[in-house]
Amino acid sequence: MSAIIAGRVCVKTAGREASKYCVITDVIDDYFVEITGPKALTGMKRKKCNISHIEPTADILKIKAKATDDDILKAIDTAKLTDKMKAGLKL
Amino acid sequence: MEPRFRSRSFKRIETSLPGGNNVLHYRRKGVAKAHCSTCGVPLSGVPTGKKGDIAKLSKTEKRPERPYGGVLCSRCAKENIKVKSRL
Repeated sequence: MSAIIAGRVCVKTAGREASKYCVITDVIDDYFVEITGPKALTGMKRKKCNISHIEPTADILKIKAKATDDDILKAIDTAKLTDKMKAGLKL
Repeated sequence: MEPRFRSRSFKRIETSLPGGNNVLHYRRKGVAKAHCSTCGVPLSGVPTGKKGDIAKLSKTEKRPERPYGGVLCSRCAKENIKVKSRL
């Protein structure tokens, strides 16, 4: 079971939003996935991202591929990850 | 020799003049580039120059907008995030 699947909670390791949590919404191909913060929670918009710029964590959300941000927010609430994702990684 | 040139903060430059005699010219030394505090590689995205010239730049021109921007290089910053995310 590969770690890079839709619903996986990851940490962005490169770029302006480094150390922010994000959720994989869709796997595009071997190198790219679509991620979202969601924007309301972490300020990161929905975008295409190279998998070498994200680091998967242990949490997985039960969402469909290409889910909307509202569904993702609900899934984050049920998984009780809201505070952790909002705060971002403590460096 | 002027008193201020007696210190080593001035570089000595031997110049030969058209008349044939040699003279010492004095010039200030270059400013060092910023280096990563972990692996010591020169930092990208951080300008080098006199303090006055850098002070005129805007905030985002002085360092990258990443956590530890201007302190760690991009590779060490990424490693740092990966390690902390696995705790």
